[in-house]
Amino acid sequence: MKTTRRLACAALGAAAALSVAGAAWAADPIRIGYSMARTGIFAAAAPSQENPYELWKEQVNAAGGLELPGGEKRPVEFVSYDDQSNPANTVRIYEKLITQDKVDLLAAPWGTPMHLALAPVLQRYKFPMVGNTAASVQLRKVAPGYIWFPTSAIPDAMGPALAEMMAANGITSAAIIANELPYAQEFRSFLLPALKEKGIEVVMDESYPPDIKDMTSSLVQIRDKAPDAVIAMTYPSDAFLFAGQAKELGLKSPFVLSLIGPTIDAYRKVFGSAADGIIASAHWSPEATEWTRGKAFFDAYVAKFGEEPDALDSALSYMSLEILQQAVAKAGLDHEALREAIATGTFDTINGEVKFDGVQNDVTPTGFVQIQDGKIELVWPESIKTSDYQPKQGW
Amino acid sequence: MKALDIIFGLALAIGGLLVPLSGDAYLMGLVFQLAMWIALAQSWSMLSSTTGYLSLGHAVFYGIGAYVCVLLTGVVPFGVALAAGAAASAVFAGLIGLPVLRVQGPYFVILTYGLAELVRNVVMRIESALGSFGRMIFMVPSFEVLVWCMVALGILATLGAAAVRHSALGAGLAAIRENEVAAETVGVPVARLKLLAFVASATIPGAVGGLALLRTGYFEPAQAFDPVISFTIVTMALVGGTETVRGPVLGALGFTLLSEALWSSLPQLYMIVLGLTLIAFILFVPRGLSGLADRALGRG
Repeated sequence: MKTTRRLACAALGAAAALSVAGAAWAADPIRIGYSMARTGIFAAAAPSQENPYELWKEQVNAAGGLELPGGEKRPVEFVSYDDQSNPANTVRIYEKLITQDKVDLLAAPWGTPMHLALAPVLQRYKFPMVGNTAASVQLRKVAPGYIWFPTSAIPDAMGPALAEMMAANGITSAAIIANELPYAQEFRSFLLPALKEKGIEVVMDESYPPDIKDMTSSLVQIRDKAPDAVIAMTYPSDAFLFAGQAKELGLKSPFVLSLIGPTIDAYRKVFGSAADGIIASAHWSPEATEWTRGKAFFDAYVAKFGEEPDALDSALSYMSLEILQQAVAKAGLDHEALREAIATGTFDTINGEVKFDGVQNDVTPTGFVQIQDGKIELVWPESIKTSDYQPKQGW
Repeated sequence: MKALDIIFGLALAIGGLLVPLSGDAYLMGLVFQLAMWIALAQSWSMLSSTTGYLSLGHAVFYGIGAYVCVLLTGVVPFGVALAAGAAASAVFAGLIGLPVLRVQGPYFVILTYGLAELVRNVVMRIESALGSFGRMIFMVPSFEVLVWCMVALGILATLGAAAVRHSALGAGLAAIRENEVAAETVGVPVARLKLLAFVASATIPGAVGGLALLRTGYFEPAQAFDPVISFTIVTMALVGGTETVRGPVLGALGFTLLSEALWSSLPQLYMIVLGLTLIAFILFVPRGLSGLADRALGRG
């Protein structure tokens, strides 16, 4: 009995000594906080953002940690919560991350409403955060300070860009169906005048509710009117409905755009060759060879998750952390120094060079991608395109 | 029990009002949430607990108040915007009250739910026709002020619910709940009383919605008229117990604290726990937390 106890004591002592040694070896981790819409209406989009976060963390830690000025490296740790797709929760979570969890850095939540709700919180605590999955003309109203938006898919730039692309490809008529959610409606409101300016006739202009279950009646009308272009301002869930029913009804229009959704890997898996020719909103493609980091990101993502990253959200999410990483290497963890570094720096990302003017990235051009042979190719604008636009050859 | 209730209520109210002085953002967020649900559940109880007309559409009052308040913020002083939000909800309840309250039982439940969805879609249409795609709210008062206002609304709603119950109005409403036809026969002005209760229960949620949206700093119709708000109100009221004024307070307290303990670690489980708790309460504790409290203290 005595021996057992003594043995146990020795074992305990050894374990204690080991754990102390372990603690001494591992550098103090840098904690990065964020909230994610893991449940609720935006839940389907969360993996396209959280996967790149995980990939980035893994890569950084495999390289010895996040680099600080002077070359010191510390491992990265995430602190994250579910905001249930509710911006009110996002606000509370970031307040908790900042004041209770006392995280070192912040990463962005999913979605425009969450980003906009956060801007005043970041301002109040003077805590810089690089945003990612937010796009709206509303962003332009955010006072420059502690939040930045790397996307260039902002409707007031997209409307004219799309009209120009359509005109350049000889489109003279278009039918529009738009989800009633803000982003789609915003885009619609900037596209209509741009089409008019280019002399493109709008033969139909309808909006539909976000939870739509059947588009047959609109699509039959479109089929009968046979416009050159069908512009479907979709969100991910109705993008699947649109493509499925358009295929069933055999829409003939050669120019088919589905705003958000087609860049998700599952979309191409579901529709196969029927997805070929569909145009969507994005300004990144793994096919762009001049962005060397882009291809590396793509390969690492496919290797880790067994599917392709979303060309819009996943790319933006990864970019936002690249920007943060490069800013931290230059300025460290001090909030003011970091804010200065992000606001004034130029960053090398998977989407090429990024630099902020106020809250916005003023380098990356507004682009459109097209699915060609199952690949996401940039087809607009000229400066970044990886392939030429091809008219859709049936479904 | 009475004295205990009053002491408990006073302690809660004073505690809530003192929290902003601590400057602790997390604690203030919690108190804000707590006061919000107390105000909403109490308001709901003014109509639904007293008359038995179960409203599944209280999000409509929250949303209308929020919309009006957001539109006016920055244009008129904050207090005026808030009051206008409350007034708008009250007026809306007054306008729709008479036809809506002619419908009873499950039809009333469905009607209130449908109404809330209808208004949500109308506001979405109005917003997109106006070319507004979500509104950022500027010139919001400090968070401390918002917390004080919300706690004040929680207190006001509780006092209001107590006043409704312990008045001639409350007696009339109880008569309606027990047997509306009999009540009318003996001369209870059924239609008028129901309308009064409906308007009373709509007013405070209007102001609550305004405060909640100002707190988030961003308005979108889908979020302001979220049906989950309606469901949560009903759940809290049922869990707390519908027989007393203390019920909604205990329900809101219990649920907010439970969710607070769970959301950080197990958000998926939280929804399951919510469902299970509701079922368990309806089956085994029909008098809610309030009834449990009575039993624990050896009364009732």
